Amino acid sequence: MPTEASPHEGGARRTTVATNTYVAMVAVVGASLTAAAIRFDGVQVDATLLVLLLLAVLSWLFGSVVVDGGRVTLSFHGIVLLAAMALVGPGGAGIVGMVLGPLQEAGAPLRARIFNTGMLATMGVVGGYAYIVAGGVPISDAPSGTSQIVLHIGIPLLVVDIVQFVVNVLLLAVVVRLAAGLSMRSQVAQILGATGPAHLGYGMIAFIMVVLWGPAGLGAASVFLILPPLVVAQWAYRQYAEEVKGHERALQVLVAAVEAKAPHLVGHSSRVAELSAAMADNLGLRSQVVADVRVAGMLHDLGLTTLPTSLVRSTGVVGGRGLQGYPALGVQLLRGMSFLSGALDAIAHHRDAVVGRADAAADLSMPSLVVGLADEYDLLTEVGTPDGVVVAREDAFEALRGTPAGREDLLRALEHALSRRAGVAG
Amino acid sequence: MRGIFPQARFSRAWSVLGLGLAVLAVALYVGGQTLLTDLRVHWLTVVVFLAGVTVGELFRLRMPSGREAAPLASASALAIVFLGQVDGEPTFDVGAGFVVLVVAAGLLLAAVVRGYRGRTVGLDQVAARLVGVAAAAWLTREFAPRGHSLWGLEDYQDVSPWFVAIGMVTVAGVGIGVELVLASAVRSERQRTPWLAALRDEFGEGAPLTSAVVVSGPMVALMAPALGLLSLPVALFPLAITYLAVDRYAQNRVTYRQTIATLSHLTEEGGYTPAGHAERVADLGVRIGRVLGISDRELRELEYAALLHDLGQISLVEPIPGGATVLAAPTDQRDIADEGARIIRHAEGLDTVADYVEAQTTPYRQVRELGEEVPMASRIIKVANAFDDLTGGSDDPDQVRVANERIHLGLGYQYDPDVVEALAVATADTMVGRVEERQPAAR
Repeated sequence: MPTEASPHEGGARRTTVATNTYVAMVAVVGASLTAAAIRFDGVQVDATLLVLLLLAVLSWLFGSVVVDGGRVTLSFHGIVLLAAMALVGPGGAGIVGMVLGPLQEAGAPLRARIFNTGMLATMGVVGGYAYIVAGGVPISDAPSGTSQIVLHIGIPLLVVDIVQFVVNVLLLAVVVRLAAGLSMRSQVAQILGATGPAHLGYGMIAFIMVVLWGPAGLGAASVFLILPPLVVAQWAYRQYAEEVKGHERALQVLVAAVEAKAPHLVGHSSRVAELSAAMADNLGLRSQVVADVRVAGMLHDLGLTTLPTSLVRSTGVVGGRGLQGYPALGVQLLRGMSFLSGALDAIAHHRDAVVGRADAAADLSMPSLVVGLADEYDLLTEVGTPDGVVVAREDAFEALRGTPAGREDLLRALEHALSRRAGVAG
Repeated sequence: MRGIFPQARFSRAWSVLGLGLAVLAVALYVGGQTLLTDLRVHWLTVVVFLAGVTVGELFRLRMPSGREAAPLASASALAIVFLGQVDGEPTFDVGAGFVVLVVAAGLLLAAVVRGYRGRTVGLDQVAARLVGVAAAAWLTREFAPRGHSLWGLEDYQDVSPWFVAIGMVTVAGVGIGVELVLASAVRSERQRTPWLAALRDEFGEGAPLTSAVVVSGPMVALMAPALGLLSLPVALFPLAITYLAVDRYAQNRVTYRQTIATLSHLTEEGGYTPAGHAERVADLGVRIGRVLGISDRELRELEYAALLHDLGQISLVEPIPGGATVLAAPTDQRDIADEGARIIRHAEGLDTVADYVEAQTTPYRQVRELGEEVPMASRIIKVANAFDDLTGGSDDPDQVRVANERIHLGLGYQYDPDVVEALAVATADTMVGRVEERQPAAR
């Protein structure tokens, strides 16, 4: 659910006031709408509502899973709210929304909880009326027959699903704009791409739940049929997310292998990775490229592991300076790994970025230049010569200026990355 | 078209196949008389569910361990088992025989398509599925204590739908259980792994997915009176999400293994160890592990540890001749193992793997005499590594015999006798301990 986004990123004091006002407004609107719906249309406090509230708490306990950088999300929030619109009407859905709102992951700021309470209540009430307007009938008058069910439950739920989604995106985009100052259009596009498909899935599952509950006559038992597939899917995605993390950690073993081979390079790989990534970020490269650059920085010396130990450790040979061809060896090792394909070019050519003629830079990719520059800077200032002599920052910059990668924009990015690192360390 | 029929020496596979054929024969006998009438009345229902079974069977899911499941097919098959009233269609009032025939037709259709595309068919697996469905169908439609079958209760007004739903889920569980028991019997015979271990893996790894399958069939039958035939695609939707999630999870396992395998190539590219040595040790080690019946999780970590068992050589200044650690001095072996474990410990979550690598050099004598705890996985790696060092990766019968003899000389002192016995089983037959049915390209 995109409702998980918490409007607490940065922002100046001026925007904080605006954000707080907006959040309070959303909360008041949500509460008022729910109260109005209950006042005018009434709400039945019965087993159905109680089971839905219980489900709301359950969905909180299960939490949500977000994998693949947000492209796949799975939480039961959306399903419970959608089902509530058909099962208990606008007022009931508002109540369910108000219960769902504050139940968030531990550590979510109060402001986010209040905002979500207001937003989910609004979505519940607006969705509940949209369901009726779209021809939906409450399950107490449950229709039977394929076409009737599709017309009076299926299609209305789909409409509500879309309405709910639009309300959600708009309310959220505003708060993100206020709090973080990001453009609204890019926010909307991002949320649409990230959670659009998941939302359609929620609609389908809510539909099954409502059909089982009403027309099929199962009542609350429908929950026991609908939960297992969802819990399993969540479990599988959770495992997957765990493994992706484990996978990243496994790359650390490759770095450790380099460091076992060349003890003087301990810490070098991770410094280069961080520096390269910060530079790529500063240069405005796409997030996938930034990730690739980070991996390339991490593994740029991997080829060293296949060279004789005595050669790698011999004096005068530091971090690959003077060793020919080891980048290609590294690439050869990594070629079979599909998820690293974006990093191979930078690993292959990072040395070309700092040795050779200045005009050679024209043929090199941006990632190669970035990794090459970060690598050379770290070799000069941190790794040093075999006797442990390192050069000062200014001298290193002077030396780098003469290399193919020594362009002004890249050096500026390096400068920026270094000051960021100093800032973090300080 | 390969792997359609089990090999002649697998008697359990043939038994299961025979059982499947017997079930089919009985179904034909009891359902044959009304077959044409039933088909004429229920043709649309039959077409929809047949399609569900066939398509589901074509989209099999490869679990992380390499076993295959067909959740969408199983769910469709169980759905037709329970199907009663269907909105817009005549009530599906047919005998268990007819149900079995419909499912069998779907399974066979898929088998033909799979065979035509050159994919493995595994008729014994298909037979196990059919027998499971038949058991569920009989329990639902024919088994009638006090004159009421479960199917008969479905449109009984005074019986709570709760009760019917629980009954259906239970029967679905029994059906799937029968299939898994038969499938694990066949697998244990093929891999020479103990049946109980195979059963535990079959239920353990598949359990979450199976629970989702078990509820999907009843879900279709319960929705059908209101929603008609549309209930099949609708109810399969959540299962399809599950399918995608598990598939994603399984594929990530593959790339993870790629990473580990890359690590094993470091020493090979550097000329410290012979090409392919780590992969061969991993392959042989896993097969020995299956013969000994160790769990899936342990097998995976054994595989990773076997791939990385020589990683410590990377920082050797002087390479060992031929990279064969079995010929190196014991202290050198130990140093290499320790260095490898140290490198592996840089990654969180690979601690067990590092432990296995570390303990691989400990002679078995220390387990026996000093009561030292050496993980089974380490003992297996020790034996598999020695075997590969001694044969140099060749499967020439003479070299295999000589290697086996040399390892036998170290029996009880260097090597765990149980592991050596399992090695003999595994090296006598290249099919032992493999998940896939096809013949390996090379050992």
